[in-house]
Amino acid sequence: MRLLSLYAVCAYAFLHLPLLVLTVFSFNQSRFTQWEGFSLRWYTQALADSALREATVNSLLIGGAATLLATALGTLCAYGLWKKKAPRLTGMLYLSLMTPEIVTGVALLAFYQWLFHFLNLHLGMMTVILAHVSFCLAYVVIVVMARLRTMDATLEEAALDLGANEFEAFYLVTLPQLLPAIVSAALLAFTISFDDFVITSMVAGVDSETLPMVMYATARRGVSPVLNAVSTIIVVGLGLLILVSERLQTKT
Amino acid sequence: MKRLRLFFLAPSAVILFALFLIPLLIVAMYSVLSRGAYGGVTPPFTAENYVRIFDPLYLKILWRSFWVAGLSTLICLILGFPLALFISRAGARRGLCLQLVMLPFWTSFLIRTYAWMFLLRDTGLINTALLATGLLRDPLPLLYNDFAVILGLVYGFLPFMVLPLYTNLEKLDPALLEAAADLGARPLTALARVTLPLCRPGILAGSILVFIPCLGAYLTPDLMGGGKSIMIGTLVQNQFTTARDWPFGAALSLFLMALTLGLLYLASKRSSGEDLL
Amino acid sequence: MNRRTLFFAGLTGLAGCSRSLQPRLNVYNWSNYIGPQTVAQFERQTGIHIRYGIFESSDELLAKALTGNCGWDVVFPTNHHVTPLREYNLLAPLDHSQLPNLRNLAPGFQSPEWDPQLTHSVPYMSTSAGIVYNRRQLGQLTRWADLWEPKVKGRMTMLDAQDDVLGACLVKLGHHWNATDETQLRAAQREAIRQKPLLRAYLNAEVRDQVVAGDVLAAQMWTTTMLPVMTQAPQLDFIYPAEGFVRYAESAVILRESPRAEAAHRFIDFLLQPEVAVACVIAEKTGPVLAGVRELLPPELRDHPLLFPAPQDMARGVWLRTMPPTAQRLRDRLWTEIKSA
Repeated sequence: MRLLSLYAVCAYAFLHLPLLVLTVFSFNQSRFTQWEGFSLRWYTQALADSALREATVNSLLIGGAATLLATALGTLCAYGLWKKKAPRLTGMLYLSLMTPEIVTGVALLAFYQWLFHFLNLHLGMMTVILAHVSFCLAYVVIVVMARLRTMDATLEEAALDLGANEFEAFYLVTLPQLLPAIVSAALLAFTISFDDFVITSMVAGVDSETLPMVMYATARRGVSPVLNAVSTIIVVGLGLLILVSERLQTKT
Repeated sequence: MKRLRLFFLAPSAVILFALFLIPLLIVAMYSVLSRGAYGGVTPPFTAENYVRIFDPLYLKILWRSFWVAGLSTLICLILGFPLALFISRAGARRGLCLQLVMLPFWTSFLIRTYAWMFLLRDTGLINTALLATGLLRDPLPLLYNDFAVILGLVYGFLPFMVLPLYTNLEKLDPALLEAAADLGARPLTALARVTLPLCRPGILAGSILVFIPCLGAYLTPDLMGGGKSIMIGTLVQNQFTTARDWPFGAALSLFLMALTLGLLYLASKRSSGEDLL
Repeated sequence: MNRRTLFFAGLTGLAGCSRSLQPRLNVYNWSNYIGPQTVAQFERQTGIHIRYGIFESSDELLAKALTGNCGWDVVFPTNHHVTPLREYNLLAPLDHSQLPNLRNLAPGFQSPEWDPQLTHSVPYMSTSAGIVYNRRQLGQLTRWADLWEPKVKGRMTMLDAQDDVLGACLVKLGHHWNATDETQLRAAQREAIRQKPLLRAYLNAEVRDQVVAGDVLAAQMWTTTMLPVMTQAPQLDFIYPAEGFVRYAESAVILRESPRAEAAHRFIDFLLQPEVAVACVIAEKTGPVLAGVRELLPPELRDHPLLFPAPQDMARGVWLRTMPPTAQRLRDRLWTEIKSA
């Protein structure tokens, strides 16, 4: 176990090294990679940049909405599949996992074009949110399904025997047990949605630029420490979110 | 019961049908059309795009992608298994340990990639440290080559390996390991002969979740590889952007998906039957 | 089923779509190729609010515009993309009566080869690509052929752009930058493959930091990327290679799908004033297309040898041309072969 712990420390270091570097250099006075003194200028610049602010808000909105939808629908779907197999739906879920992002992006763009031919709509936040739901769904189903498989099915039967109807059995017995898995799935979905670039850039409209899109555009011209500052803010913010959610979970 | 089941499955089915299946059919239609003069699609229908895939140039790119993705998956497995093992044995802190694995992934992956590039460059942190200790005279070429690409891919997809492995490990009955110990097995032996075989579903799930995105990856190989070599993901991406050869891009994508479907099918045959879904 | 129906010419269908009531113009431009105050000035002067979006490559723009209802009104493709956009009927014809400032265009830009009557596009700025290199460590470079020399091995980059790499190889062999002949193109491809062992990577603007830091000693690079940092990096030099080089002209066009043609014209007309254009030149070191801008520049930029090269140097530059489809396909394939070699 000690060896394992040592390895784990190295592994975590590997995972977090770029993050650390990012954070350290977000406080760098200089634009370039030589350390030239501590400074908060990139943070002030980041917070003052309206495009960046707007993109972050967009990303959070899209991530939040897509996560809610995907988690809710995905949980229901996993439960339904657990009860009884549905090969065609499972097949579609598999396929959606396997499609390269660029294909999903182009396909969705093409689909939206055809749709908008008949409706007077445009690419925008809704199109991005729906796109995100469609590719997050499979991940949620996998995570929840993994938990369902380890669950004791007899508990539900017991509830049914005791007079509950099927929906109550699900809601009062199974769902509470699934809660940790649902939270994990939600976090996973949010991460995937927040970080998505390829699909989003294809279906985003004029008003729905997300943070990865803005970062990519900026980074194409040479990395600016402003991006470091933004990343650090995000990690700290979301890290706090995790901590809070952990606290809430252990309380229940 | 039927009605309830409908309630549970219908929304997902509708979403997937409308936002996944139909778009995919549109792409399939593109793949049998011809390329417009400057891009886009136009009649006549043709199978030429699929025939073109079997050109040695593209097969070579496909082969290289498989090789890179396979190696990355293997390394992810080797690096990820001990980590998953550690987390599953972390007791009360396992939730936190798991979250720590995911935390880096909430920065934009692009920024993480650029952070790696910054670390690996000739004047980057790693080389500067190595030169300072006097171990080297010239900087190591750590960036813009296959090593960097695989590092980038492994780094990017490690959580996708760790999570399923951990889920699998967590479900294992500790009594089994106790029994093995009682029967005289040393920890390492118990690991190899009891734990690992029981982890096959997790290993399979993790490998699939890593291999497939690696195969279709394009930003990481392009950035870390310096654009010097080309993987299938980049090739597809190019068709939809610079080359504007949508039909060929569509054909390539569908071909790639068919290949991965085939692999999945083979993998499911060899597994003990427990699938991801 | 003709091309147009496949092209989701719901372009017209979208004309009636509802948007915010405040007059607004959606402008899609290169990330920094505009004066810092230009948008604010326009908004103040006309009351039209501008939503300014940015892209990083004209290919990206073309791909988005090709899909038909991307939502942008005024966009700035590079000159060689004007023809495809026009052929696909994606551009609104320009109403010259709404563009009185067209008369400010410099003589060389009044009748460009890609749009002689300026029916659909208006030149906005000009840039080019050459070689930036570290003079202290490499001595003087003068030609593309210098990038094939052993002394740059491992420390040299080329642009990750097929037109630029193939073009450089073509002129190195004595052909035309915009060549379409198969034999010439294949020879150029062989040259590029020959160069690959010396090449560190195919990189675009992101390599600038490495050039300044000295990681990379020579790079094929755009003027607008390098010029802003040249003053702080005296060890660097930028040249327009002797065998020839390429020039780009970013042009303003109005997308046919736009329901705000009048506001779009006003914006373009606004940009055609020397006082407005000079801000962009000062901020981003782009090449001006209007007469009278040079005089408004501060002295250090007025006679800058890279912004305003001597006529004999400029004569070696050619405008990037739209490739006919068969040549484009060949070039695409050759680029894939170069990349996978």
